[in-house]
Amino acid sequence: MSNQAPPSTLVRNLLLAMVLLGAAGAAAVYFRVGADRFWANWILWTLFFLTLGLGNLFLVALERLVGAHWSVPMRRVPERIASLVPLSILLLLVAILGVPALFPWTRPEAAHNPILVAKSPWLNFPFFVIRAAVCALAWILFYRFYVRGSLKQDSDKDPSFTVRARRLAPPFVVVFFFSLTIVAFDWISSLEPEWYSDMFGVYLFAGTFISGIAAMTLGVLFLIRRGRLPEVGSKHYYNLGTLGLAFTVFYAYIGFAQYMLIWYADLPEEVVWFKHRIEGPWQPIALLLPLLHFFIPFFLLIGSAGKSKPKVMRIAALSILVGHFVDLYWLIFPIFGAPQFSWPEVSMACLFLGLGFLQLRRAMGRGADMPVGDPLLAKGLEWQL
Amino acid sequence: MGSDAQAGTFAVVGLFSKPDAIIAAANTIRPQKLGRLEAYSPYPVHGLDHAIGLGKSRLGALVMGMGVAGALLALLFEWWTSAVDYKLVTGGKPLFSWQAFVPVMFEVTVLFATFTAGLAMLFVFNKLPFFGHPILHSELIKGITRDKLALSIESTSAAFDLDKARTALVEAGADSVEVVPFPVWQSPLSLAGLLRTIGAIFAACVVAGLGIYGAEKMVPIVPPMFHIHDQPKLNAFRESSFFADGKGMRPAVAGTVARGHLPPDFKTPEEAGKILANPLQLTLRVADRGRKVFNDHCAVCHGAVGDGVALLSRAYGGKPANLLASSAREQPDGYLYGVIVLGKNAMSSYAADLDDADRWSAVHYVRILQRAQNAKDEDLR
Repeated sequence: MSNQAPPSTLVRNLLLAMVLLGAAGAAAVYFRVGADRFWANWILWTLFFLTLGLGNLFLVALERLVGAHWSVPMRRVPERIASLVPLSILLLLVAILGVPALFPWTRPEAAHNPILVAKSPWLNFPFFVIRAAVCALAWILFYRFYVRGSLKQDSDKDPSFTVRARRLAPPFVVVFFFSLTIVAFDWISSLEPEWYSDMFGVYLFAGTFISGIAAMTLGVLFLIRRGRLPEVGSKHYYNLGTLGLAFTVFYAYIGFAQYMLIWYADLPEEVVWFKHRIEGPWQPIALLLPLLHFFIPFFLLIGSAGKSKPKVMRIAALSILVGHFVDLYWLIFPIFGAPQFSWPEVSMACLFLGLGFLQLRRAMGRGADMPVGDPLLAKGLEWQL
Repeated sequence: MGSDAQAGTFAVVGLFSKPDAIIAAANTIRPQKLGRLEAYSPYPVHGLDHAIGLGKSRLGALVMGMGVAGALLALLFEWWTSAVDYKLVTGGKPLFSWQAFVPVMFEVTVLFATFTAGLAMLFVFNKLPFFGHPILHSELIKGITRDKLALSIESTSAAFDLDKARTALVEAGADSVEVVPFPVWQSPLSLAGLLRTIGAIFAACVVAGLGIYGAEKMVPIVPPMFHIHDQPKLNAFRESSFFADGKGMRPAVAGTVARGHLPPDFKTPEEAGKILANPLQLTLRVADRGRKVFNDHCAVCHGAVGDGVALLSRAYGGKPANLLASSAREQPDGYLYGVIVLGKNAMSSYAADLDDADRWSAVHYVRILQRAQNAKDEDLR
């Protein structure tokens, strides 16, 4: 904390102005353009924040699970980015108001659609809300345990927390995978409820994990440039590059496997979902996805030189993050037909980017920049490749 | 130390017990340019490659190049086999379906990349095969294979000086220094060794062959796939107690007509000539097809130009019709079609061999032959 520059009020005021401006724009979207457009944007940003936050919480738990040392000095960064979890839970609970405007299975016509009738034991409003609430509760409990516990360890230096954190990591991973699959099926896939893909939960996980790594990389590089992470160098974030490389390949593999199987089988009710998304006006975006999400980061990170250069790492991470956002946009927005991108999207982006950065800035000021109470910190700092 | 001793020296080797010590020593000795530096270690030491002056490995670029080559080669091969050489529509997909090609491209990429990595690493960059490294004959090797690290100054460069190298290693803090000479080589390839190897391979083949032969003879072997032809399902030629007629085969319902095999609605070629006209327009493709059909099916008897003189008629004395005669020329197209379908005299029906378009193409071709052999003046203009 001692080496932190005092938080600049100018940036905070700019962000506040962004939020206010965005909120005004959002209100105009709701009343002038339509509730469905408003809620689609809302869900897009909520899921973007949720996946970033959960991805980073997963990275924190993963370190505990496998007993990694290299990431300990950088762990405060994913813990801080995980502060997007409570924010997005709040946004998700508000988004329940928008469910009837957006999800076809809530409409009265659904009673005449045999597919939706058959799916109604799962896709009904009360159960949907219960699932969202249970997931949110699990996330907030794990978030408080991992992030608050780690902050508390800064001052009391209690090594027993490290043991408890390791013991709770396996249940968290199970809860994480179940809840993320529920998010994928409930909040994205059921926008077009006739469609179904077994792989979809894994697909969202791949995007979540890779964008979590990308956000963590950007955060680490930002703090290193500010001189707030002394003794943390390329040998530490090199591993982020390695993980990033492995999981861009994983994302591409899962994404392509899902597409190829559906393309091969050519079943009308499955293939129509992809037909909307890769032909016609959505085609450029569908082509952009593998580029941002796979080809750019893959070729930047495959050499050992790229993984130790902050500039290369930053470009790769940005490409992945933008790719993840475009991915969510590409999953959600085809419900409106052709791609919609105009002032409603821009003003909603203003609102949410402002909110997100305000939350991250608040989290950045909390606790020391390194987990100083962690008994593994020294081992992590002297860690060699 | 004389120059003789120096000439027989492979390297001067210093032994260290800490990774930091060997890196520091390498960093002080490297700028003195005493000879090529090499390091031996029982475990990987990060930074040592840089300290002894190893450049960036070219293996990565090679692997990347070969991986990309593998992907492109697979794509080329898949495109050529399925879209050029053997066009087979599968599942209603386009001939060039890149989606289906990607898994094979991926596999070939991995195959090329891993083989390049393994083989280039062993045979290009590590210069294998290399029988018996001189360091293996030294005293230090016992330490190197346990917990010690060794830094060696090799004698390959002209600047190598035995005494200077030894002093430099001692000054850099080596626990002990040893001069490793070139061992006395025994040629790995001798005639006796070669013969022994061939003999051993031959003996192994004989033993294995006899062993398998004996096992086959003595141990009763279950017929392979014993159960696969004995399935309880109903075969076309199997008895069945399920159906009333006791046969496994279900014949088609009486009066069934296969698609494209409607029976002709004429009884004689003459009748066909009255009611049928050639539905095909004469184009170059139709003419080509007609020529192929005619040459494949008709020319053996009717002759390549249709004059009724051909291999078969010469051999057996038969008299196939001369298609160029006026009797054939004056018949309508439908008549020729009718003959193909019903047969005439010794000629049997070709309905089973030729589909509708084949028959009409052949009729067109017969007309072409007739005109070619009876060309009028205006045809030549």
